[in-house]
Amino acid sequence: ETAKRVEPAEPTPGMQALKSARFLQIKQSTAYPDGIKSPNPALNEAKKARAYDKDFLLQFQKVFKEKPTIDWDQKVKDTLGPGDEPGSARGGSINSAR
Amino acid sequence: VNSASSDNIITVFDDPENFNVKHQLQNKWTLWFTKPPSGKQDWNELLKEVITFESVEEFWGIYNNITPASELAQKSDYHLFKTGVRPEWEDVQNKHGGRWAYTFKNSKANDEVWLHLMLAAIGETLEDDDDNEVMGVNVNIRKAFWRVGLWTRTAGQSPKGKAAEGADPKESQKRLERLGKAFKEVLQLPAQDMVEFAGHAESAHTGSSRAKAKYSL
Repeated sequence: ETAKRVEPAEPTPGMQALKSARFLQIKQSTAYPDGIKSPNPALNEAKKARAYDKDFLLQFQKVFKEKPTIDWDQKVKDTLGPGDEPGSARGGSINSAR
Repeated sequence: VNSASSDNIITVFDDPENFNVKHQLQNKWTLWFTKPPSGKQDWNELLKEVITFESVEEFWGIYNNITPASELAQKSDYHLFKTGVRPEWEDVQNKHGGRWAYTFKNSKANDEVWLHLMLAAIGETLEDDDDNEVMGVNVNIRKAFWRVGLWTRTAGQSPKGKAAEGADPKESQKRLERLGKAFKEVLQLPAQDMVEFAGHAESAHTGSSRAKAKYSL
């Protein structure tokens, strides 16, 4: 287990914020920072459900990159990682040194 | 912006380390992974639950920190299903359902296509409010192709002996065709490329996922 990484002992501020944040109310008008589009209002008028269009959702991609948990890398490795057979999977490669 | 609701709202766009609101999804979703077989395991042992989430922010935290579909080994699958539904034909909630599918004839998955399909599912833009057909979406990585699927609750027929339960096959077919059209749009396929629908019962009967398509669009 020489490759085993040392995980941070404490959740990051981003992880903590995600955990403690409350859900935005559906009809709450939110002032997003300049340059950030609100969810498509037409979509939300037409639907009872909480609906979010692709363009709205894609705005988060570069903004929120926190791992879900402090032991996430290990979990990904355990769940997606290679089986018994060498080379049968390449899961976990995102953390490799390559 | 009225003053009552603007009090102290900090989104992830304002401050990714100190935001205090997050965007709730209409449904809770669970991500599953099928590991490529490496010997004698049952398919069941290869299917693993990865994580459950219910906000837009959580989705991106996961997506940004997990192996992209394009880097998965052959015989891997991701499944993103509504929480409580197992991504298997045998799940009681899938028993009478089916799936729309499209097969891409190259071996490396396009991450953007799979991402857009997941976003359409969690953003609830695939179906009308009352249709209630979407069970989940998945991607299968295979040797010479990869495939995306959209699993549905019904398959355009009354289950045997269940006609009295209000399942109108014509209504089901209409819903499924609307959904298939939305699926095709998300994949941005040219008109001549067909997405195909098959019921799980038929697929199970033929013993493979290559059941004869019931509808194509």
